[in-house]
Amino acid sequence: MTELDDTASVVLNTLSEVLGKPIGELRAREVLATHGWDSLSSLEALSRLESRLAVTLDLRAYHAAHTVTALIDLVAAAATSNAGAGRRG
Amino acid sequence: MNDFTELLDGLRAAVDGRTAPSPGLRQLLAEAGDPATMRRAGHLLADLAPVEPDLRPIRVTVLATCTIGPFEHLLRAALIAVGTQPTLLLGDYGTFDLALAAGEIDGSPDLVTCLLDERYFLPREWSAVDTEGLTAHIEARFAELRGAIRACLPRTPGTFVLHTVPVPAELRDSLISVRARAAAARAWHRLNADLLGLAEEDGRITVVDLAGELADVAVAARDDRLHRYADLPYTDGALLTLARRVARVAAARSGLSRKVLAVDLDNTLWGGVLGEAGEAGLQLGGLYPGNCYQDLQRAVHRLREQGVILVLASKNDAGPVDEVLTRHPEMLLRPEDFAVRAVNWSPKAGNLRHAAETLNLAGSAFVFMDDSAFERGHVSAELPEVAVVAADGDPAHLVRSLLRPGWFDVPELTDTDLKRPALYRSRALRTGFSTGFASSEDYLHALRTRLIAHPVTTFEIGRVAQLSARTNQFNLTGIRFDEGATTAMSADPDRLVASFAVSDRFGDEGIVGAAWIESRGRVWWVLNLVLSCRVFGRGIEFAIADWIVGRAREAGATAVAGRYVPSGRNKVADGFWEKAGFTPSDEDGTYTVVPATAPSCLPTWIAYPGDE
Repeated sequence: MTELDDTASVVLNTLSEVLGKPIGELRAREVLATHGWDSLSSLEALSRLESRLAVTLDLRAYHAAHTVTALIDLVAAAATSNAGAGRRG
Repeated sequence: MNDFTELLDGLRAAVDGRTAPSPGLRQLLAEAGDPATMRRAGHLLADLAPVEPDLRPIRVTVLATCTIGPFEHLLRAALIAVGTQPTLLLGDYGTFDLALAAGEIDGSPDLVTCLLDERYFLPREWSAVDTEGLTAHIEARFAELRGAIRACLPRTPGTFVLHTVPVPAELRDSLISVRARAAAARAWHRLNADLLGLAEEDGRITVVDLAGELADVAVAARDDRLHRYADLPYTDGALLTLARRVARVAAARSGLSRKVLAVDLDNTLWGGVLGEAGEAGLQLGGLYPGNCYQDLQRAVHRLREQGVILVLASKNDAGPVDEVLTRHPEMLLRPEDFAVRAVNWSPKAGNLRHAAETLNLAGSAFVFMDDSAFERGHVSAELPEVAVVAADGDPAHLVRSLLRPGWFDVPELTDTDLKRPALYRSRALRTGFSTGFASSEDYLHALRTRLIAHPVTTFEIGRVAQLSARTNQFNLTGIRFDEGATTAMSADPDRLVASFAVSDRFGDEGIVGAAWIESRGRVWWVLNLVLSCRVFGRGIEFAIADWIVGRAREAGATAVAGRYVPSGRNKVADGFWEKAGFTPSDEDGTYTVVPATAPSCLPTWIAYPGDE
């Protein structure tokens, strides 16, 4: 599995747990708002994602991600820059 | 993350099967340090069906000056880890002051947890050049909080739990003068000192030192993003730290405190194996690592000082161990410090079971500390209700491993706590003494037991409330009268709270029982009667019944009525009223007797003081 696939599966699993929807359904209807994505569930997902992937997300960008794919891309970018920072350090 | 799969799967199975999470699962929950896992656990456990008596039900209200958010789930998980099952009532956002101003907290909570945030105490606008004004504002806010909580106490039955608040970084760092910065920090630390002082003002306020604890654990106190975006004052890690502390208060209030520490010797109370190294080869005292073991002995001794009963559980020959306990110059614990010494080659689980029988305590009162994973595993398998503490790894951590979980926490120490180790030691002697008698009745006569019974005095209310909270076996109706209720009843002419103390030739047992009685018309209703398991099997309960009937007779009562409500744990009291001469009435579970004609049920081997 590549790093990106790995991150994607963590994001999908997390969303599925927090929103109580199967991954297939999340993939079929990409807009998060249709799955009960509100301030409470989004913060719950934020906490899990940051803890699992050891990343810190920018809250503005996080709230601007309205679809499953946008969220995966955002988290993957943060994970990559984190890993890069780690290597440089 | 995979480490927690077993925990979460186990909790899911418990929820699906409508059963209590097993003691082993609860221990995993108690040790889980990952807040994200605890949040998920708390989510799952929200659907747990009531599983009394495996978990002790408790009503908990959470009021917050900020967003409660994940604290709900973290607190639920932490409460279930310690053996309670909470019904959580959450105050609505922004209603903290309003809820307190009502002067009464809805839902008769057992516990009211207040989640406090720095913004409650800080003004919205404050000047960096007026630290005096800032200090005055903080003091005024504290005074308001104190007033509101104290106003709620008379009409709210439960305990309030507050916490100290970490120094706001913005307050500290806004000030560029180091002198002013020190002054502001001082004002904040004084606020925390004042918060802690509330606990001394009233026994029903408990304050946990969150700020102090956060200085000692590696978690951030705040996440600025979540604070500003969602008014979440603390990180999940800090909230979990708080939740664990609140859960310890709940456990202590619910009578779930442990009373016994069973501890191993080799590589636990001293370094090395006595049978191999010999007395002279033991690591004890001096420099590292010997100092670690001696420090553990110090910590154990302090526990004993506060009423924890010590049991020695060691696989060794008894002779050499006695020699070291008595003579080794660096030993701080001596033979007389242990109520039971199980030094032999039998399995430790059997030894602990035997110690529990000798002390007349359940396995759930025990904590077992051992360096051997095998011994801990064996004890856990045989006696899952015993809590285990691992003593392996670097001995520098021994003291923290023992003390950190707070197994022995109690709301406050009573006289009986202070005397308990000696009491249980004389009980173990009593058990030895009993072997020389032809019948147990001869033995009981030789004990010369006396029952000291009278209306509860101010000084005894704490102990009586403690008995009410902690007694599960001989507890006739399960109604738990706390300190406030007991105080109120003792002042009411139509009600009587009686305390019962016992002494015998081996010493003074202190207060071992209590009864809460209400007079309705000319009938005396025994609302509850509790008796410590320490004095079971000696007929004390019948002497108490005899005393109550006698007082009712003197007061001209036409009947005394009592109830027995099975709880699943009080089978020992089943049939008590009938054995005491009461007859079942038409109402299920209610028994009555007519004092004027009731024969005495005082056992011949018990006397009231002054009767001899």
